[in-house]
Amino acid sequence: MDYTISSIAPIVLLPFAAFVINSFIARTFTKTAVALSCGAIFGSFLFAFRIFKDFVFGNYATDYYIHKVFNWFDLTGGGQSFQVNMGVYIDNMTAVMLLMVTAVATLIHVFSTFYMHHDMNYGRNGRFFTYLSLFTSAMLGLVLSDNLLSVFIFWELMGFCSYSLIGFYYEKEGAGNASMKAFMTTRVGDVFFLLGILAVWTTVGSVTFTDIYAALAAGKFDPVMVLGIPLATFAGLCIFAGTMGKSAQFPLQVWLPDAMFGPTPCSALIHAATMVAAGVYLSLRIYPILEAGHLTYFVAVIGGITAFGAATIALVQTDLKAVLAYSTISQLGYMVLGVGVGSYNAAFMHLITHAIFKACLFLSAGSVIHSLHDHHTHTHVQEMPRMGGLKNKFKFTWIAMWCCTLAIAGIPFFSGFVSKDRILGDALLMALHNKAYWIPTILGFAGAFLTAFYMCRMMFLTFHGEPRDKDVYDHAHVEHLSWNQNIPLLILSVFTLGVWFSGSLTGQGLVKVASYDGKYEWFQTLIAKPKVEKFVSYKAEEFGAADTRVKNQLPASQYDSSYGLSEEEAHHIHHVHYMGAIASIIIAFSGVFLAFLMYIRKSVNPGWWVSTFSGWYRALQNRYYFDDFYIKGLIQRGLLPLNNFLSWFDMGVYDRIAVDGWAKVTHFLMGIAKWFDNLVVDTIAVDGTGASVRFFNVLLRTLQSGKIQFYFIMIILVLTGYVLAL
Amino acid sequence: MSGTSNLLSWILWMPIIGVLGILLIPSAKEKAIRVWSLINTVITLALSLVLYMKFDTTVPGMQQAFLIKKSWISQFNIFYHLGVDGISLPMILLTSLLFSICILSSWTIKKQVKAYFALLLFLQSTVFGVFMALDFFLFYVYWEVMLIPMFFLIGVWGGENREYAAVKFFLYTFFGSVLMLVGMVALYFVSGQGVDSFNILALSGGKFSNEVVNMFGYAFPFAKLFFVALFIGFAIKVPVFPFHTWLPHAHVQAPTAISVILAGVLLKMGTYGFLRIAFPIFPEASVYFSDAIAWLGLVNVIYGAFCAMAQTDVKKLVAYSSVSHMGFVMLGLAAMTVQGMNGAVLQMFNHGTSTAMMFLLIGILYERSHHRWIVRPDGTKGFGGLYTQLPKYSIVFIIAMFASMGLPGLSGFISEALIFLGIYERFTTITVIGVIGLLIGAAYLLWMFKRMFFGDVVEECKEYTDMNAREIFYMIPLCVAVIFFGIFPAPILNIMKASVGQLVSLLAKY
Repeated sequence: MDYTISSIAPIVLLPFAAFVINSFIARTFTKTAVALSCGAIFGSFLFAFRIFKDFVFGNYATDYYIHKVFNWFDLTGGGQSFQVNMGVYIDNMTAVMLLMVTAVATLIHVFSTFYMHHDMNYGRNGRFFTYLSLFTSAMLGLVLSDNLLSVFIFWELMGFCSYSLIGFYYEKEGAGNASMKAFMTTRVGDVFFLLGILAVWTTVGSVTFTDIYAALAAGKFDPVMVLGIPLATFAGLCIFAGTMGKSAQFPLQVWLPDAMFGPTPCSALIHAATMVAAGVYLSLRIYPILEAGHLTYFVAVIGGITAFGAATIALVQTDLKAVLAYSTISQLGYMVLGVGVGSYNAAFMHLITHAIFKACLFLSAGSVIHSLHDHHTHTHVQEMPRMGGLKNKFKFTWIAMWCCTLAIAGIPFFSGFVSKDRILGDALLMALHNKAYWIPTILGFAGAFLTAFYMCRMMFLTFHGEPRDKDVYDHAHVEHLSWNQNIPLLILSVFTLGVWFSGSLTGQGLVKVASYDGKYEWFQTLIAKPKVEKFVSYKAEEFGAADTRVKNQLPASQYDSSYGLSEEEAHHIHHVHYMGAIASIIIAFSGVFLAFLMYIRKSVNPGWWVSTFSGWYRALQNRYYFDDFYIKGLIQRGLLPLNNFLSWFDMGVYDRIAVDGWAKVTHFLMGIAKWFDNLVVDTIAVDGTGASVRFFNVLLRTLQSGKIQFYFIMIILVLTGYVLAL
Repeated sequence: MSGTSNLLSWILWMPIIGVLGILLIPSAKEKAIRVWSLINTVITLALSLVLYMKFDTTVPGMQQAFLIKKSWISQFNIFYHLGVDGISLPMILLTSLLFSICILSSWTIKKQVKAYFALLLFLQSTVFGVFMALDFFLFYVYWEVMLIPMFFLIGVWGGENREYAAVKFFLYTFFGSVLMLVGMVALYFVSGQGVDSFNILALSGGKFSNEVVNMFGYAFPFAKLFFVALFIGFAIKVPVFPFHTWLPHAHVQAPTAISVILAGVLLKMGTYGFLRIAFPIFPEASVYFSDAIAWLGLVNVIYGAFCAMAQTDVKKLVAYSSVSHMGFVMLGLAAMTVQGMNGAVLQMFNHGTSTAMMFLLIGILYERSHHRWIVRPDGTKGFGGLYTQLPKYSIVFIIAMFASMGLPGLSGFISEALIFLGIYERFTTITVIGVIGLLIGAAYLLWMFKRMFFGDVVEECKEYTDMNAREIFYMIPLCVAVIFFGIFPAPILNIMKASVGQLVSLLAKY
């Protein structure tokens, strides 16, 4: 099957077109705008599904890819040449990612028609969908990108969309702060990312992934040093800093919890399922650079710290969405940990499974919050201490949310178990080989325990026990099922089952559950680290040109075994993974059990822990003082005083003394001239040459009025005279 | 051929026809004056577009079809010599676009309407003169004459401290001009006072590498000495640190349209001077000083951004942001690579459109509020909740703001990315420090936006009305430009690439 521009471009262009049209019509024809946005993303889904079907079920070789380029602009001329190309790159990972993004986005669009309908007047509703369309379009563009530059472009566009969506309720002061914080924090990562792009571009001559891989294979990176650091390390660090910003990794995690200021469906889309995943996706794409730069340990440690640290903060959160926000950071930490320990396909699988269960969690939370009102302040209730016992009123949401909770907690048979457990297993494997890896590994396992605990705590506090705020509880409507609210939850929660990811889609159907050698699982066979040597001879094609490569057509169900894990490799890691799996099952269940003891049986008193470890408790509540350090410390004590000093120096000192001072000097010289002239005039006057007095007076007056210009003329005359004399 | 041979003259003199027309209209008929000025600038814009259509993008250097060369002061071999290449065409297009928009934005001027519009059109003609002149003397004349309308436009129609600002602007620029004059005269004599002694094209190409000038008993290399003289002359206009302090004063005091012209067009005359005169005539000295230029450009970027962040007057903030953004142009010029130079010329154009939007928007707000305080000197909020109060205005503001900070998808990104790509290889350290400018650049704009647009509507803002049809109308072309060239930069890059490439090839020899 040949892919042309007309079968790939609509994936990005449909939502983009919806954005453009909605920019004009959203205010007046809101219903049309909403329908347009939803229709566009569904259209993208259909195109993406076709690609997914071909790549996963089709009889393509496992390392088959589509790479089409076109010229964006060309600076060739006047004896110089330089070109910038753009293109699309589709391999198995792209195909899976495309399907996930379009599917989740479609469901979130559908849910938003429910959520935003009651929430606000129509004009705003349209504006929301306009941004959603731009956002999904940018995300899809990023996924399809064949080079770092266009990744960066779409990456920043998503930053803009998240800025707009977090600041959606612009009448709130807090929304302004949160949106600015989100944009600026990710921008810190982005400027490093840009530096990384420049470093790679200058050496490789292109930033296309395939060219980068080829250059790595050819050893082009090795001799280059940047500021005393090997290029691969420098570029890897810089680009990974982009990931740290976008995927909210330590120490740039501060923006994500504040991002909850936006409407809940946008939290689901941007801050759980897709945008934050873009960072991890990028780090998977540049994995060969990270490897060549010896950065994998650094990546693993960052991931481990994030996974554990965010989980601890989530323990003390009382806001329903805040718990989910920290759980997102923590889960992103697992993905990054996965990248760091070389668990390439499990990290990617966790990205996919997390996107699904986290979207579902946010939408469920949205359903709950949407129905809970405080009738005094006319706001929605998000605080868990005011909830409790809600399972009687939200039966459907309760079940959906439990599915996701079990998934994120890593309970067997749910998707989170399949992916997270495999990351932890690989971490364990690394730790057994290299002692340094025990640090991220232990952090990872400890975080897994906390995850199970705080997620169940959230569920117990929200849905179980007695209602703690009678007023809120009584006013909450009993959930009545509606298609646009519940169908998305239903579909997403069905896909929290592990079997979708651990099964084999070929030959044997969905029968093999969680086989640890992974030999026959579709994920394991499809997704693998890019082997850079393979890219040396590959070439991209122009859009419109026929596909000249001979596709290595294999019969269905028979994948290229050299692409995924080899038989020996699979066997070798089998044993370690087996231990890891048992450990993580025990850990997950003990987390659930502790939460059960604390919040259902109430045999363990959380208050005792709080009072005993009050210092830690305060630190957790203050998010380890990171926000204080950045805002009150770096910005308010560092940046702003520096700005004020420079501004004062510029206008108050430099301009006043060094610039206007010249006027003073000129004035002073003029005074001397005047005094001298007076003297001369006086002398002459004393001598009685009366007639000359008037003449000199006239001359003086001219001098006085001419001021600085006069001196400039003098300067010109002198200098010109000098040059003439040459 | 014959159809286009006088096109440049038409564009150059069309505003003067406008001035003559205004002089014939009685000063009481203000509307007629405005409409006439608008028609005049639109005709000029149309002529510039004709120029764009007829322009051959494949030819590097001056386009023969448009060259005009007539004897003017024959004793000194001074010619009325006009031409256009890929570097000047974007500037000509920008000038004619911004002046039409400025006429529309000046619709609300009440004070001495006749004189105002006459001066504005006169200014336009002189700006065209600078961008078209190929005779150094003619260039200098236009460069100097331009000061006169500017002086009056700031000094008469400006804010409360206008006279100080106008005099400062005048003297500062004049100081630079003097140095340029010295350079010009020196070139005249060194090149032998022949028929080409003021011919910029003939002087170009590094002919003075071996000349030496004896002064104070020492032998100075001619090219380096006079490159510095020209450099300071042009640097004041850009403005390059440490010659930048006239800019905040002039911007804050100037009326809206003049701020737009000042930031949008006049600053580019400085960098254009490098591209047209300093670099081609003294390529060796340019390469020699490129490190210094890059470091100065870096200071501009960082220092301007830090200063901008401290401002509480929104117009001053944007003025300092211009200092920062022109620093990027200087970085691109210093790179002397194909990416950097193209990026610099593109940034000149893109900064022209985005910063014009910012100043126009501030002007629109000022007409409603009559102040520009983000935070008043007494610490209270000057604005608040404008997003709620002025939704249309806010959307245009967001476009302008993100274009200004170089968001991908909007025009500023491509030029900044090209510039950084251009300087990276030679000036890695500068690049690493320079990207901080991108960060602070986003910070001061977003912080300003947050303080002015988010939150509850401040009591006095509740009376403000949203943009009217005229205001929306003149913002549309700029919005289209920043979005279109952000996605498809090729049309504008195609114009410049051949000429820029030629200049880069020349510089690459040294």
